[in-house]
Amino acid sequence: MDGHRTESFVRALKDTGDRPPVGLVGPSDRRFAVHRNTVAIGLITALEVQFPAVLDLVGSEFFRATARAFLEASPPASPRLTTVGERFPEFLAGFEPALQFPYLADVARIEAARVRAYHAADTPRLGIETFSSVAADALEDLRIELHPAVAIVRSAHSAFTVFRMATGGLAPATISQWHAEDCLIDRPEFDPIVQLLAPGMAVFLHALQHGATLATATVAASESTASFDLSEALAIVIGGRLAIHLSTAQRDP
Amino acid sequence: MSSSNLAVLALASSFAAALGFVSEANAGRAAAQPTMDKCYGISLAGQNDCAAGPGTTCAGSSKLDYDTRAWKYVPAGTCETIATPNGKGLLKEA
Repeated sequence: MDGHRTESFVRALKDTGDRPPVGLVGPSDRRFAVHRNTVAIGLITALEVQFPAVLDLVGSEFFRATARAFLEASPPASPRLTTVGERFPEFLAGFEPALQFPYLADVARIEAARVRAYHAADTPRLGIETFSSVAADALEDLRIELHPAVAIVRSAHSAFTVFRMATGGLAPATISQWHAEDCLIDRPEFDPIVQLLAPGMAVFLHALQHGATLATATVAASESTASFDLSEALAIVIGGRLAIHLSTAQRDP
Repeated sequence: MSSSNLAVLALASSFAAALGFVSEANAGRAAAQPTMDKCYGISLAGQNDCAAGPGTTCAGSSKLDYDTRAWKYVPAGTCETIATPNGKGLLKEA
């Protein structure tokens, strides 16, 4: 298919005005409509599988209509179905009918991070032995590279609690007041995990992810909250085997 | 001196404390048992995790139900409790 035909074909796939692409012969309207519908259903089903909590929270009808609007506004940039929902959380955050559920975009961020964690490379993780051999005077300048499956999601609207309720980990109950919740997403073995983080941990891990030294990350986390516990944060990094590489080279953060 | 500078000063002691927590937790976990076992003879055709022997490549490629040459990951310690029409799951290839 030449460039012009491909473009026409893709445009017709997204066209809800029911026009087939140029160059098709036979009863092409009807036949192409079947294909157009199959493509849309396939993508919507992929979103349903990747965002089970969002689906549970809003129900099937709302989800499908939202998914359709999302795919129209933001058609897949890659042929891989695993990436189809990458921009879904951002879409939800600005999708007017969904604004009545302030937690929805954050729950979707957790689910998008789970999908990414599921497909992240199986890079070997550092054990406690590696950390034990770090000299005390090297700690301030230490940079800890985190595993590609590790992600941090911060929410002002109890997204972790809502996610757990929607996925059956917690009995549904009324949340009388929103509170900030940060969580860590990772895949230690075969299945992704989502766990709640204490205040300051998200800032700390986020700084490490962006190449900050241990000293810089510690200052950032301590400034974000007075209750930041550095030894607990380090225990999460070491005990949770979040690290894949340590370096002490002096360079600007 | 601000509290954040104090936190950096405490880096060495916090680090030592963290190493302590983690090694204690590891010891309590009974010498880090693997959490999954490879279990032979339990997977349905096409649902093995790997190793289905000659004529197949790997995951999802077994041709027989309960093929004793194909394995599937199961939680550690549960393999030999899994009953199939051909008997229990096996920890070794048969």
